[in-house]
Amino acid sequence: MSQNTVVKKLAARRSGAVKSNAAPADVLIVGAGFAGLGTAIRLLAAGVDNIVILERGDEVGGTWRDNSYPGAACDIPSNLYSFSFAQNPQWSRGYSGSGEILGYIHHLVDHYGLRRLIRFGHTVTDLAFDAGQGLWSASIAGGKPVSARSAVMAQGPLSNASFPDIAGIERFKGHKIHSARWDHGYDFSGKRVAVIGTGASAVQIIPELVKQASQLKVFQRTPAWVLPRMDYTAPDWSKAVFSRVPTTQSLVRGAMFWAHESMALGMIWNTPMTALLQRISSGFLRRQVKDAWMRRQLTPDFRIGCKRVLMSSDYYRALQRDNCELITWPIATLSENGIRTSEGLEHRVDCIVFATGFDVSRSGTPFPVTGLDGRKLNQEWARGAQAYKSVNIAGYPNLFMTFGPNSGPGHNSALVYMESQIDYIVRGIRTILQQDLKMLDVRADAQLGYNKGIQKRLSRTNWNSGCKSWYLTEDGFNATMYPGFATQFRRQMKTFSSRDYLAL
Amino acid sequence: MNIDLDKMLAKVRSSQWALVDIDWEAPGAELITPEQWPKLKAFMSDLMWIEHVGARGFAAMAKKAPNETLKQLYIYFHAEEQRHANTEMALMRRWGMLDGEEIPEPNINLRLVIQWLDQYSDDMPLEVLGSVIPMLEIALDGALCKFLLDTVNDPVCHQAFARINDDESRHLGVGFHVLEMQGHGKLYQMALKAVATTLNPKLMLGILAYLPLLNRMRDNIVTMGLKEESLYSAMQKYERIGGRTAAGRRNPWFQIISRHGRLVVNRKHFYHRPVDALVRLTDHYPRRLLRPVPTWVKQLTYKTTA
Repeated sequence: MSQNTVVKKLAARRSGAVKSNAAPADVLIVGAGFAGLGTAIRLLAAGVDNIVILERGDEVGGTWRDNSYPGAACDIPSNLYSFSFAQNPQWSRGYSGSGEILGYIHHLVDHYGLRRLIRFGHTVTDLAFDAGQGLWSASIAGGKPVSARSAVMAQGPLSNASFPDIAGIERFKGHKIHSARWDHGYDFSGKRVAVIGTGASAVQIIPELVKQASQLKVFQRTPAWVLPRMDYTAPDWSKAVFSRVPTTQSLVRGAMFWAHESMALGMIWNTPMTALLQRISSGFLRRQVKDAWMRRQLTPDFRIGCKRVLMSSDYYRALQRDNCELITWPIATLSENGIRTSEGLEHRVDCIVFATGFDVSRSGTPFPVTGLDGRKLNQEWARGAQAYKSVNIAGYPNLFMTFGPNSGPGHNSALVYMESQIDYIVRGIRTILQQDLKMLDVRADAQLGYNKGIQKRLSRTNWNSGCKSWYLTEDGFNATMYPGFATQFRRQMKTFSSRDYLAL
Repeated sequence: MNIDLDKMLAKVRSSQWALVDIDWEAPGAELITPEQWPKLKAFMSDLMWIEHVGARGFAAMAKKAPNETLKQLYIYFHAEEQRHANTEMALMRRWGMLDGEEIPEPNINLRLVIQWLDQYSDDMPLEVLGSVIPMLEIALDGALCKFLLDTVNDPVCHQAFARINDDESRHLGVGFHVLEMQGHGKLYQMALKAVATTLNPKLMLGILAYLPLLNRMRDNIVTMGLKEESLYSAMQKYERIGGRTAAGRRNPWFQIISRHGRLVVNRKHFYHRPVDALVRLTDHYPRRLLRPVPTWVKQLTYKTTA
């Protein structure tokens, strides 16, 4: 494309002649969860206010709007599972429930006046870059496309949930509930209920359901390492102190950050602390579960940290209730009346709860993303997703992501990582706007070099030590986790190295 | 015997069946004659327990599997052996051989093996259990099940054992594959490792529990009318199949177990004197010294639904 054409198209864009017949925004953000809203808040603080947030739902909150199952709560202390720039002195518990977290998100929306930026019911079906105009255009299901000079994909890694691919699932005639799409109208009392899955959602659901159902059967494929969750009711005096002297809350947050940071030593890498953490978890299991066979069933055979560590103080106790049964036989098929396991029994139930997690996209994108020269992101990522510092991808100028490839934490608050990404994104967007760039594209060699380093470091981590987890693709490629301390991640996100980018 | 373990796992997954697939009320139970009944009851009880013990063996092997596919296969085999035990219990119930809801009482040698499995099997290296299990499977498959089907006319029994035998053939296929797999490597290293493993006191206790069990089972089934020779020819089959390839023959545990098999089939060998004495001795084993029955045993059931 000649320089002249570029200049003409730039002029056309500035005059508002865009494909969607609407003036392009400076930024379009996909998703109104923690990441999307956080990005908007920081952009507003940086003086960028021509923002459009596209939200497929009819309310904000993302994961915390969708995950409203009984017992849903965060497993990082609330003081750390919140934005440092918007601390909440009123957290009622050490680990708040989903309702309270959602309340916090609503507070952010109201406090920062974000609602005016959000277009609800806008499901993005496609995102494409027009190199000529330097614009990203988002196609909207049943609606007009939305264009912007930069785009932030903040739809989140845990936003899509569907029933798992279990043989015979269509034959089951009872009630089916997915943990991420809870059916609040269903009455569990007196019902025979099965829970499939024993991951992070299940260990929160099971202690609640066992109180209601007449019989609860828990189907486990792989046991996880469980550590006790030190939950507590926040006393009024601490709320009062945090309100009056916010520094005290920052200090508590700082202490919690470093406490979690120290866990990386055992969870990310195989060190003497790994053995210590395993001993703590095994000791907790031994204390809670008296039966040796059940302990064996609940003992993982992979290194702690390889999969997500679960935090629960009441899960083991719930499993041992008279009306609860832990079933570790493989599921053969679902039948009309229940679940058939490989030891030959048909477990008859009225309702099956699928606590089987999310459709995490490790090698694709949730919707087609087209970059320069028609390149498709899901094709480029087919053999494992890669990005530069988890935020930018070469060939996709002006596109930013939150929780992109290799940005996942295994030991610390996701929001700490998210804040670093957001601040980096804000710097990128400001660069585009201040320098009036049509394109800010990360260099392919910079991205390659970054990923070489990441994969080399990952090979030495517990995640890549042989267990099968949602962190890895079927081929064992880790495009999910960041191999280091949160402090390292924060440090890498603090520098915006312009020489790693091509600017036009 | 070289098999593709991934294809085998897919086959196993697609070949699952449940007790509800069998019509337990179908006619034919009356074909069990009054003369057959008491012997059959004892036979089925032993058979069921052997399946159950095999199941626990597979559970221990799953913990030691060198790769994920084999681990998954052993997890399925654990469940399938349990399914066989459950099916045999359901047959016993059909034939009126169960005392209410009670699980048939295992003999003392089975109790001792169960106790050993509960305490120590998870600590055993894969090559030990991986070599013993095919021996037990082949004896079951080749002798006991065949004897049962030759003598029992109940079509439901035939229907159930057709399914069980299908499963067992896959277990044997994988069993011999693993036996050969473990015959690769330097011979002196494998031999040294085998010697070191044999010196493990936990394994010694296991051998002490296993030897009299084999002889007791032999005595029991001979009492029931099974020809001793058919049991022996099944055990010889282990040596024949396991020793077909150089890798299989190089596996020290195959050598130990097949040579032991030769001793077992030779009734005139001195070996039987101490072992038969052990069988008699275990009859006097103080029951109070037995540990409580582990809860995995309580998972046995004749029920089709729960």
